[in-house]
Amino acid sequence: MTYFTKTYDEAFINENSVRTNYKKFISWYKNQDSDELTKINSDAMKFFENTGVSFKVYSSDKKENLIPFDIIPRIINSKEWDKLVKGITQRVLAINFFLTDIYGQQEIIKHGVIPVDLIQNNTAFLKQMIGFTPPNKTYNHISGIDLIKTNSDNFYVLEDNVRVPSGASYMIENRDTMIKLFPELISRYKVSENRNYAKYLSEILKKSSPKKSKINPNIVLLTPGIYNSAFFEHAFLADKLGVELVEGKDLRVINKYLNMKTINGWKRVDVIYRRIDDIFLDPLSFKEDSFLGVPGLMEVYRNKNVTIANAPGTGISDDKSIYSYIPDIIKFYLGQKPILKNVKTFKCRIKDELKYVLDNLNKLVVKEVHGSGGYGMLVGPLASKTEISKFKNKIKKNPYSYIAQPTLSLSTCPIYTKKGLTPRHVDLRCFALLAQEKVTVIGGGLTRVALKKGSLVVNSSQGGGTKDTWILSS
Amino acid sequence: MLGSTADSLFWMFRYIERVENTLCMIESGFQLYLLSSSNLNNEWDAILRTNSIRHHFLKKNNSLDSLNIINFMLKDPKNFNNILILFDKARENARRSRVSITSEVWEAINTCWLYLNEELNKKINESKIQTIIKNTREKIALIFGFLERSMLKNEILNFCYLGTFIERFDNTVRILNTRYYLLLDEKKIRFEGYDNFQLEMILRSISSYRSFMWKNQNEIKANKVSYFLISDKDMPKSLMFCVNETIKNLKSVHKKNFPKNKSYQNALSIQKKIKQKSRNFNNYSFLNSLFKLNMTLAANIEEEFNFQ
Repeated sequence: MTYFTKTYDEAFINENSVRTNYKKFISWYKNQDSDELTKINSDAMKFFENTGVSFKVYSSDKKENLIPFDIIPRIINSKEWDKLVKGITQRVLAINFFLTDIYGQQEIIKHGVIPVDLIQNNTAFLKQMIGFTPPNKTYNHISGIDLIKTNSDNFYVLEDNVRVPSGASYMIENRDTMIKLFPELISRYKVSENRNYAKYLSEILKKSSPKKSKINPNIVLLTPGIYNSAFFEHAFLADKLGVELVEGKDLRVINKYLNMKTINGWKRVDVIYRRIDDIFLDPLSFKEDSFLGVPGLMEVYRNKNVTIANAPGTGISDDKSIYSYIPDIIKFYLGQKPILKNVKTFKCRIKDELKYVLDNLNKLVVKEVHGSGGYGMLVGPLASKTEISKFKNKIKKNPYSYIAQPTLSLSTCPIYTKKGLTPRHVDLRCFALLAQEKVTVIGGGLTRVALKKGSLVVNSSQGGGTKDTWILSS
Repeated sequence: MLGSTADSLFWMFRYIERVENTLCMIESGFQLYLLSSSNLNNEWDAILRTNSIRHHFLKKNNSLDSLNIINFMLKDPKNFNNILILFDKARENARRSRVSITSEVWEAINTCWLYLNEELNKKINESKIQTIIKNTREKIALIFGFLERSMLKNEILNFCYLGTFIERFDNTVRILNTRYYLLLDEKKIRFEGYDNFQLEMILRSISSYRSFMWKNQNEIKANKVSYFLISDKDMPKSLMFCVNETIKNLKSVHKKNFPKNKSYQNALSIQKKIKQKSRNFNNYSFLNSLFKLNMTLAANIEEEFNFQ
């Protein structure tokens, strides 16, 4: 099988020449029996199936799906990684400052860096959070930063996910699987550990506890329940953290504190690692008919008797309309030049940019400002004329809801097929944890791969798979 | 531990136990079918009654056809207690309490669920029935094996066992209830045409025929069978064994407060009732009262440990 890709490939310069990061791996690969690898590849899926590593696609019935796993690791060297760590740290800190400010003095608006209407008219901006500083002044305890690579030198940030970023469990399971499948291979490399994620997560959650209960806080993970698409991850992380996995019905506000219903009665809760969206947190403050949250939770929070991680209202900073301002946000709060670049973004809310977008839809990727998971999105070069014209009308009707980006030539990495290695587009989600102004970026991250030939959509809900990500120690 | 987690653990094991018990009954019926036994209809009738599904089955079917019954019990969506549905509920509860059980227990449950879904969603032919039952029972044994070997000996395990023994008690009492007339004292009037064969089938329906014969020097008698199923404290499916295990687990989970609790008091009264009746078993109302007491005991547990 010929290995051919038009875009930057992370493993091969051309068919006969391997990049430094992959040299050792490819020489190992060439010595492997292909039948054996095919068997291992299917064993890997069996392993995921038996352990119940699954996710669900909304709208489908009770069916659980497996995220396809590719056995070829993605390899990043320490120099590239060091730059990523610095860049991610910078963004995470700046976002926390931004949130503190936007719910406080709003200096950034007063200085004209961010237009006021972008905040005021944004549903992700929670009025309930105005004038309130969360315990330990931390909003984005957990961030998932999505990155893409287009050439040998640069990673670009595609999104900063700070609402309820998911995927860490797959990162850990992928590593576990690789160690089970290729124990001798992984020991040849000095690969940085990523399975310590839960240890760091536990540390930052403990640190974020309201003052009175810092010694041994009672932490819980709040899930919408077993029918949620990411339930596997919720159970996985609660297990690794050694905390209770709770649903709204297990919790109640009693005498200004949050409590959980145990077999021996009510027990106070100090920290909620929530995996439900803001609007479902408290029916008294947000969506009235929500059964997923706890009535009165926001009042307990505002009295600083409980910590919610991530803080309600954090979503304003990962809104796609704010994304394009992140470099300005970094400059404003840190006085630094952004280490990681943003992808060029056209804001349809600005007249000239809207015109450009509408004239060039066939070349652009258009995203809904509040959308996620690859939904509500148009990939211009792959869309039909009818799809483009339909989308054009949608944008015209509501330009404030859309941004557009050039179609990026995402880098490729080799994946395993029965016929041999073949290139597919990838991105990278890195996980960063924040407590007391200290950021920990977990070594490696989750590489998502578009398994369909030529596809640029890496979301698991739309045919994407994952790979283990190896950061080589220097 | 969360009350809702205790709820999930308790019900997970009630459902797993129910699956195991149902499979044993299907197996005993299927054995008769293979032997073309003249008692086949009576046996299926008793099995359907025991599971409270006779009425549902006969709504759809005119006769007690063995393969139809087996299909109904294994996978027919009209039977809300079919094996697929029961195990699905067991796994759902396992997912809810995933954080409390070990990976070993979870994987054993998950692989059994995957197996049942794969096998039972195909057309089931006669030649595969025994294999499916055997494999599933082995997989269930693996769940209990890992439960015993990999879990901490704490309250989590107590709730798993409480579910198991409450359900097992319920099953044995149902079996006895359906066929109590077979076990009447020999001096009293017995229905004509019944012989040791029916007694043997009772034992086979709970997979305890061999152990009974071993213990009773290969002699089947009604009073011995009833003693074996009701009062024998060594027999893992007897009412006495189940209630003793329930008491043990209640003591452990209630810690020092156990004497005060309703559930514990209720379990004691079941134990006492069985002791009093041990060799004088002759009536339907006795079984019926045990059945009701066991239901109350389950409700006590749910209430005392904040299940809902």
